[in-house]
Amino acid sequence: MDVFLQVLANGVMLGGLFAIVSVGLTLIFGIVKVVNFAHGEFLMVGMYLTYLAVSGLGLHPFAAVILVVPVLFLLGALTQRFLIQPLLAAGDHHIQIFATVGLSTVLINLALLVFGADIANTPPSGLRQPLQIGPVRVLLGQVVILGTAILLVAGLQTFLARTRTGRAIRAVAQNRAAAELMGIDVNRIYALTFGIGAACVGVAAVLIAPLYPTSPNSGTYFVLIAFVVVVLGGLGSIRGAFVGAILIGLIDSVTGFYVGADMREVAVFGVFLAILILKPSGLFGRQLRLSHVSP
Amino acid sequence: MRVLARALAAALALGAAAPTTARAADVKFGALFPFSGQLALLGEESARGVEIAVDEINAAGGVQGQKVVLARGDAVDNNQAIGEARRLISLERVVAIFGSYSSARSIAASQVAELSGLPYFELGAVAEEVTGRGLQYLYRTNPTAEDMAKLAVEMIVNKVAAGLGKKPGDLKIGIIYEDSSYGTSVAGFQKKFAAQAKLNVVTAQGYPAATVDMSSLVLDLKGRGIDVLLQTSYQNDSVLFLQQANEAGFKPGAIIGGGGGYSMQPTADAVGHTVIEGVLDTDFTQYLVNTQYTPGLESFVAAYQKKYGGAPRSGHSLNNYVGAKLILQAIDKAKGFEPDTIVKAAKGIDVKDGVTAVGYGFKFGKNNQNERAAMMGMQWQGGKLVTVYPDSAAVAPMQTRQ
Repeated sequence: MDVFLQVLANGVMLGGLFAIVSVGLTLIFGIVKVVNFAHGEFLMVGMYLTYLAVSGLGLHPFAAVILVVPVLFLLGALTQRFLIQPLLAAGDHHIQIFATVGLSTVLINLALLVFGADIANTPPSGLRQPLQIGPVRVLLGQVVILGTAILLVAGLQTFLARTRTGRAIRAVAQNRAAAELMGIDVNRIYALTFGIGAACVGVAAVLIAPLYPTSPNSGTYFVLIAFVVVVLGGLGSIRGAFVGAILIGLIDSVTGFYVGADMREVAVFGVFLAILILKPSGLFGRQLRLSHVSP
Repeated sequence: MRVLARALAAALALGAAAPTTARAADVKFGALFPFSGQLALLGEESARGVEIAVDEINAAGGVQGQKVVLARGDAVDNNQAIGEARRLISLERVVAIFGSYSSARSIAASQVAELSGLPYFELGAVAEEVTGRGLQYLYRTNPTAEDMAKLAVEMIVNKVAAGLGKKPGDLKIGIIYEDSSYGTSVAGFQKKFAAQAKLNVVTAQGYPAATVDMSSLVLDLKGRGIDVLLQTSYQNDSVLFLQQANEAGFKPGAIIGGGGGYSMQPTADAVGHTVIEGVLDTDFTQYLVNTQYTPGLESFVAAYQKKYGGAPRSGHSLNNYVGAKLILQAIDKAKGFEPDTIVKAAKGIDVKDGVTAVGYGFKFGKNNQNERAAMMGMQWQGGKLVTVYPDSAAVAPMQTRQ
């Protein structure tokens, strides 16, 4: 029984990790309706910045948030303004996708140039402290990630529902033309949303860096699962991303232990396919319209 | 008429902007390694060995009186490896190709070389399939996955079992590996040699190298009571596994890594020197080794420091260096650079163990594989990777916990 509880705990912790990485992605996907293939690289940039802040400036990872999150916000906003926005007028959505793929390649190779291919290790700063909760052992950093993911989800939901800017963002997502007619500066909203999405990834990066080795390819390890989580939860549904993440984490952990390490991905993608066949819009998704202009 | 003139001008311009200009008295060799992308670190490291070999050969008068020039090809992925091989052969007109660190890249690119009838000297890729395809012009100087597995099982039978106070057959062996051709190849041979040695392999599991979590695997291995764990992995998964195993309280009698991340200092630094203390490793000859068995190693390290401003990052550069140097020295004794001449020169190489900077000897045998190539056994002691096996190459005794 103890072992089963540990397997579940591992799964939930893993789910928290996936959740915190995916939240920003679903926001961008749901509002700006752009598939940001550079999402993993935003995470990687954030992880390297955290590494520099912690090992270079001697900051605690939590303090590094002050540095990393604004930089990531800027990175996201600038990507939207100078990479995506000029391409929005193009008739074919695939152009924006390829632009983000290009950005991803550029960032990976820039990181390779600047940092080299060796792993960079952010000092754990106490986050690898083991916590014994009954028969289950987890790391402090993992619990912090899960807690932050929950706070992030709740915070974003509140922001979108209760604030004026949040309502503007939702209006743009529902009907861009009408939003524009209502006096909303759509381009500014897009940049802001991309920036917020990237900032969420910045938060994820700060918490992940002390627990995982950082290399130019770190982003690629997370990004595929992030997309699975986002689509599974329903594009644009922040709550859905969280639930999807926990689900995937549990499937991964349970399969890994009871079936075998080589079957983990088969199970995860198998369940993903099954759910999509039964409910194509994802667990919490509504019918997503990819048109930027009208319903 | 104007179109023709423009086309002619363009052709002349292209011709003028010819790739790497070499003087008439130079001979070009290709250096096809992954210089960017996923495998860039060790690709670059491997190529550095070749570059130092070329420097030394040129300082001694070159090959057949001609200066050796290296034309780099970036094998960032398999398709690119093929494209770059073609470019090196048709455009750069190299007389032979040195490569490639990655087995996958090597397999892809060597096919192109074979079709062109051009010699391909593999200096560092370990998968069995590289030399197992019946190619006439592909030669491999380095030890293979099979050698790595053989040595690991040897270490268990000859030293580790006794150190743990058990008979080899009583040990519970666990084999885990990253699921690309590297890990699968080594693990496959580990199973084979373990079966031959009548060892009890309790589980063998593959996992994707790009994983972010190994906690379920660690839990499984812990539950099975594994005594000796064999892992074949890159940097990321080595770090993850060692950290998560330590935190989950999984402390087997011995962990034996199959090269890759296990041989690298950044792995030890990331995991923590206390956590990695005692972890064993089978890999190419590394640097803390008995230099009576590996003469020339110290001067290689000095040359590397001088040229690149730092210590070698792994044993790959050393192995590539020795392989490339021996090949070039053999070609120097021949006349001309025709493919068959080069290949005949290579076949004539006959060097005993204990003579080169890597320790093992050189003689190409079945499938054009260097049959004297062998791996060594190392152990992390005090944050440094020291050679502990075989005894003739060891600088420190192997430590095992009871």
